[in-house]
Amino acid sequence: MFKKKLTVKILLFLILTDILETFIQFCFKKSAVSATGLTVTSLGDTFVFAKTVISSPFLWVGICSVLVIFVIWSTILSKIDLSVAVPVASFSYILVPLTSIIFLHEKISGLRWLGIFCILIGIIFASLSSKEKIHQETDA
Amino acid sequence: MHNIFLILLLIAISNSFDTARELFLKSTINSVAAPHPANIRNVFRFIIKLLQKPKVYLSFLCSICSLFVYLFVLSKVDLNFAFSLDSMHYIFIAVTAKIFLKEKVGLKRWVGTGFVVLGIILVTLS
Repeated sequence: MFKKKLTVKILLFLILTDILETFIQFCFKKSAVSATGLTVTSLGDTFVFAKTVISSPFLWVGICSVLVIFVIWSTILSKIDLSVAVPVASFSYILVPLTSIIFLHEKISGLRWLGIFCILIGIIFASLSSKEKIHQETDA
Repeated sequence: MHNIFLILLLIAISNSFDTARELFLKSTINSVAAPHPANIRNVFRFIIKLLQKPKVYLSFLCSICSLFVYLFVLSKVDLNFAFSLDSMHYIFIAVTAKIFLKEKVGLKRWVGTGFVVLGIILVTLS
């Protein structure tokens, strides 16, 4: 059942998961910003922190998006090999820093970009080996 | 900028919760027969069976803990820094899946994991 061919439809869904993942991270960051001033030194502070982030609508939008991405991702994986899906989906590792620069005015040095690319290469490499087991199943 | 070691430790804690969640989920899924054929009715039955296992709820709890620690990290550092370091779970999962789930981890995957380690070091130094 596992297919290797990336169709336009699946590619569009994969790009959608990239954008959604970036959106989720953006929402989480926005919800956390409301608690930036808080220092957590006791158990009571932990509850204050939790209360602050829970009351942010951004957190709930983010959590809902996590559920949506879960459904899309599960559907994608039923149609295509993990070793094809993961490299496309891990482009959020580039989209998130780009969003950080544009919308959150963060600064990213050359060394950090190099690190991000290393992580990306690592994820792609690791996912390529996932086809080993699946091939045995389809060949049988 | 807050103490970078504290932030690294917190991200490691958040990723440990993620790793525990994945291990709980995978070991539960391994213990239940896969839905066959994979139609909606069988998948639904499969999910019902999973929800009867206590480990599934442990994995939900781990998700919540991980999210709160991650949000705390985000309240202290830049998003691009936290998100890049969040890839630490690739390392943790490769190691723990080998130890606890006795999965085989191939050479390609170790090379990939090595690149992730290198990337994390570079991001931390930047």
